[in-house]
Amino acid sequence: MMAAADKGEAAMAQLRNADPALFLSPSADLAAAAREASQHIYSSLVTFSPAQPPPLPSLLAGPAFDAEQIWSQIELLARPLLPHLRRQLRRLEQQPPSQPQAAPRVESPAGAEEEQSEEDEEDSELEELKEEEEELEDSDDEDEMAEDDEEDEEELEDKGGNGVEDKFLKTKHLEEFLEQAEEEEYGGGAKRGEKKAKKNWMEEDSDDDDEGMEDDEDDEEDEDELDLEDFEDDEEEDEGKTGGDIMYKDFFEKESKQVKSRDSSMKKVQSRLKDMKMILMAVKMMMMMVMMMMMMMSEQDEQGLSTYEKERLKKRAEIEQMEKAVLEPSTWTMQGEVTASRRPKNSALEVDLDFEHNVRPAPIITEEVTASLEEMIKKRIAEGHYDDVEKPALLPTKAPKERKEMDESKSKKGLAELYEEDYAQKTGLAPAPLSISDELKKEANALFKRICLKLDALSHFHFAPKPVIEDMSIQANVPALAMEEIAPVAVSDAAMLAPEEIFDGKGDIKEDAELTQAERKRRRANKKRKYAESHKERPTKLQKDA
Amino acid sequence: MEVDRATTAAAAGGSSSSGAMAVDQASRRVEKPLFDALMPSEMSGGRPQFRKVAVPQHRFAPLKRCWMEIYTPVYEHMKVDIRMNLKARRVELKTRQDTPDVSNLQKCADFVHAFMLGFDIADAVALLRLDDLYVDSFEIKDVKTLRGEHLSRAIGRLSGKGGKTKFAIENSTRTRIVIADTKIHILGSFVNIKVARDSLCSLILGSPAGKVYSKLRAVSARLAERY
Repeated sequence: MMAAADKGEAAMAQLRNADPALFLSPSADLAAAAREASQHIYSSLVTFSPAQPPPLPSLLAGPAFDAEQIWSQIELLARPLLPHLRRQLRRLEQQPPSQPQAAPRVESPAGAEEEQSEEDEEDSELEELKEEEEELEDSDDEDEMAEDDEEDEEELEDKGGNGVEDKFLKTKHLEEFLEQAEEEEYGGGAKRGEKKAKKNWMEEDSDDDDEGMEDDEDDEEDEDELDLEDFEDDEEEDEGKTGGDIMYKDFFEKESKQVKSRDSSMKKVQSRLKDMKMILMAVKMMMMMVMMMMMMMSEQDEQGLSTYEKERLKKRAEIEQMEKAVLEPSTWTMQGEVTASRRPKNSALEVDLDFEHNVRPAPIITEEVTASLEEMIKKRIAEGHYDDVEKPALLPTKAPKERKEMDESKSKKGLAELYEEDYAQKTGLAPAPLSISDELKKEANALFKRICLKLDALSHFHFAPKPVIEDMSIQANVPALAMEEIAPVAVSDAAMLAPEEIFDGKGDIKEDAELTQAERKRRRANKKRKYAESHKERPTKLQKDA
Repeated sequence: MEVDRATTAAAAGGSSSSGAMAVDQASRRVEKPLFDALMPSEMSGGRPQFRKVAVPQHRFAPLKRCWMEIYTPVYEHMKVDIRMNLKARRVELKTRQDTPDVSNLQKCADFVHAFMLGFDIADAVALLRLDDLYVDSFEIKDVKTLRGEHLSRAIGRLSGKGGKTKFAIENSTRTRIVIADTKIHILGSFVNIKVARDSLCSLILGSPAGKVYSKLRAVSARLAERY
């Protein structure tokens, strides 16, 4: 037992004295030391566990045990132990300080003052805890910075104040120092704020747990630093007693109590609180060591390699992992063009596909839409503003070719005359002939004149009729009476003709059928005679000229 | 002037050697002898020249009718003697003393011949006035061998309804066409004759009148632009 305890002490000493830099790299010695130390602490704490006999009498921290396993063992002990300790502390405070020895060590002799504070304030238990921890801190301060305290006290005494003033200054000084340290470590008051918030609305037990958890977190972060100040800082943070949160009553009323407590049974309280604190510290240290072990044990196999080699191995492992990932076939979403046969069934439904919709979504026709459309249509119709496609006016690039119409009748002029006219035009003796356009112009002119005449007849007051142009006009061989006669329509033209107009001839008219032979012969002879007379002239002409 | 020329010509014919000797003597300066153009009467030894144009049966009556129109330009303007030989059924032409040009006789002969082919006097007179008018004749069988109804239809196609196709060609190409059964005569300048002949041939070969018209239109426009 003693040997084990010595071993444990030695291990703890070793850990404490070790260079913080050594903890960065895994070392078998430190790991073994940590195991020993944790075992020692466990054995020392197991007697205080509330459940007797304890579920696990000793910590099993052999080399075969994983950090997780060791941790869980410690947790098994610490979980019921911590709240138990705190409850005992409270009891100590409540109970009168008359029985300091008989009562368990954790009893607080400052119960009277606490009662007073309770009576006065009737606040939640949070404040009590704050006060407890303040006391603890105060004791710590006294332990470690005795000289400073004395100096402060002296200063305060010079000022002529009470013990209150001493207390006030000291706590303030402490708080400032702690704040500074915190800022250095954590870089701001964010964490503090969180912890404060947690504190405000959680119960004591949970607060305790949080404290423990927060402590662990701190331990994890600052593994290398085994400073006790960390614990103090944690306590300080848990309290929430920063510069801005401190109230008047906390200082003056408490300080008075504290002064009283100090006056009454300072030493006893000190010793008991010391022990309590030691126990708490031990628990925390154990937890921290376990964390260290976790770090070390994971790399126990590679003790013989240099840092470079270890890093190389790490990189190699990474590279292999990446190569494996690259070589194996990637998911179908990463394969570019994928047909339905290449991907699992209905897999496209699960993936959020993003593709461009080149089609405008169909417009939702509502009543408002139709109303607006109709309004627009009405407006357009009223304005007469249509979107009809208008043919652009073609500008004639060149004058329209004058096409000579193909004359399909016998030309009136002979070939010689044609050439004669051509020659005359070329030499300039005769004017150019009228082209088709000129004829058209002529026709147009004539039409226009006629229209003008009619308009003049309608509009002018003094109308002068156009001069009559005597034209050669064909007189139809129509009976004179027909030209001027006004006869009823029913009377036909045949009826209006005079007998002479119907037939001109003389004598007895006989049809060909009625004629006799002699008469027929006579007719023929007359005809021949007439023909002979008309054709007699020609041959004489020819003969004459020849 | 003419007597002198005659004497000098005789002298020249007689004494050519003396002229040569004269040339040889004046070797440094050579003078080319200048002769005036011969009168038609002096040509061929001062004897008149004749042309005879036969008159076909169907042109006899028209000739009789239009004799004066033929006679006047020939005798008055061309100064060529013209007479009708009824017995021989010929028109005879003879140069006179005062016929100005050698070609007049030929022109008059062409003129009369054109009339005999069937052309009008008004058209044939152009031959007298212009030098570069010709008469081109060809037969339908030269273009394509057609028989019976095809031949008749070809002739019908050539003339068209009321002769409108023929007139259309005539008017657009400035020629005159005579279709005498299977013979076709064209009177006009060389280029125009060619165009008319092409269109007539295409008609004989069977193309419709519309197609021929369109071609004619294009060609005639080109011809008109040129002149």
